Amino acid sequence: MKKDTSKKIRLGIFISLGITVFILGIYFVGERQQLFRSTFRINGIFRDVAGLQIGSNVRFSGINVGTVNNISIVSDTSVRVEILIDESTRKFIKKDALASIGSEGLMGNKILIINPGTGGKMEIENNDIVGTVQPINMDDIMLSLKKTIDNTSNITTNLSSITGNIQSGKGTIGRLLMDHSLAQNFDSSIVNLKLGLSGLRNLMDDTKISFANNFDSTFVNLKEGSAGFKILMKKAKDSWLLWGF
Amino acid sequence: MKKIIKKQSSNGNLEEEVFPEITSVKISGSVIERFFEEVSSLTIFALRFFKEIVKPPFEFNEMLKQSFQIGYRSLPLVGITGFIIGLVLTIQSRPTLAKFGAESWLPAMVAVSIIREIIPVITALIFAGKVGSGIGAELASMNVTEQIDAMKVSCTNPFKYLVVTRVLSATLMLPLLVVFADIIGLLGAFVGVNLKGSVSSYLFFSQIFQSLEFIDIFPAFIKTFFFGFAIGIIGSYKGYNSYKGTEGVGKAANSSVVFGSLMVFIIDMIAVQITSFFQN
Repeated sequence: MKKDTSKKIRLGIFISLGITVFILGIYFVGERQQLFRSTFRINGIFRDVAGLQIGSNVRFSGINVGTVNNISIVSDTSVRVEILIDESTRKFIKKDALASIGSEGLMGNKILIINPGTGGKMEIENNDIVGTVQPINMDDIMLSLKKTIDNTSNITTNLSSITGNIQSGKGTIGRLLMDHSLAQNFDSSIVNLKLGLSGLRNLMDDTKISFANNFDSTFVNLKEGSAGFKILMKKAKDSWLLWGF
Repeated sequence: MKKIIKKQSSNGNLEEEVFPEITSVKISGSVIERFFEEVSSLTIFALRFFKEIVKPPFEFNEMLKQSFQIGYRSLPLVGITGFIIGLVLTIQSRPTLAKFGAESWLPAMVAVSIIREIIPVITALIFAGKVGSGIGAELASMNVTEQIDAMKVSCTNPFKYLVVTRVLSATLMLPLLVVFADIIGLLGAFVGVNLKGSVSSYLFFSQIFQSLEFIDIFPAFIKTFFFGFAIGIIGSYKGYNSYKGTEGVGKAANSSVVFGSLMVFIIDMIAVQITSFFQN
């Protein structure tokens, strides 16, 4: 009898624990989908939702604050996205907030991103329609990428012909790099330049000596002149004609 | 080749009876016949279960005893299996994800695989091996030793006492075991993630709950009731209708496991089709 009771207790613990774990699991998953939180609803009209799905995360300043509740086609050019957002973030989202569609990483799921809007505006209200930024379509990116690839292809073709010309010695750079006579001429030019420079140096040396000599004699003359001028000035000073100056 | 059997007639003379040639077509025909016969008997057996389950008296104590045997006693085996699956799956998945530079997706990927498919199916297979064979062998040996007949004689409904309690316990206990195996499997995955890296338990479980949705949990949980029911009913059917003799016990235990496991895969396939229908 005692053994039976013990078995029943153990079975009871086993069942209770199992059910508790299951309910906790449901709670945590539900919590992520805002099922147990107070939420408010806003709408956004997009031309193309780029693969956004019901249940996709809604991010505000990089934080998950809600989920996409419903997506419905309104007309041939517009899709309404119904968004559920945590009530506690309402005060940060203004009337002029913008919704855009992004993705989690390079290969990740699509997410809806809310930009808060300007500080001076009023808080957003339940069932308001927010402005949207149309997502960049993958096809547009591919089209742009194709143009870039075409341009790159043209550039590489041109580059290939340029290098071909250079290799065959055509053009200035080709001749410069591939023509051996040019190099020889260049060598001889350098030798000539070297010789010229050496001659110039000798010339400069000679010029320097004669200039120095002339410069010295000029100074001697100038010195003698200034001495004579000094005597002349003294005599003029002593003269009665210029007395008083 | 014709088969001739000599038998004594009513007047005492020996008579030869000639049996027609046994061809492979006829053998397969007999297998198909036996298969359909088995299917119809099993369906009638299952319908009888539903009929008996609502009729009083309810063998509540016996059901608790069976739940203890089937559920509680299977927990260590299921727990160890779950832990190893979580650990191994994480270690095996890491190199592939690392090639794409997506190691941070490891907890999410492992959690979805474990909860959606791997743990429910592996636990059901373990359950079929342990519980299905146990039910089959136990009921078959009771059948062989004429205990079931004795119960009928003593005005106890053996179907209600033996079959209903076991099938019901199997149906209710397998989902609980799967819940435990899921949690232990995720702990195994956590260990696996931290063998070659460092992820805090908070971040690990946060990533898991970020990646999980109700569509991952509910279909996986609901199908385990069907797994449990299939394993219980097949085990009980095989044991209850076993041949007399020790050979019958072995056969009943063996076929309980084989058909129970096969049914698990068939139900899983149907469940996946239904889930994907709702998902799209």
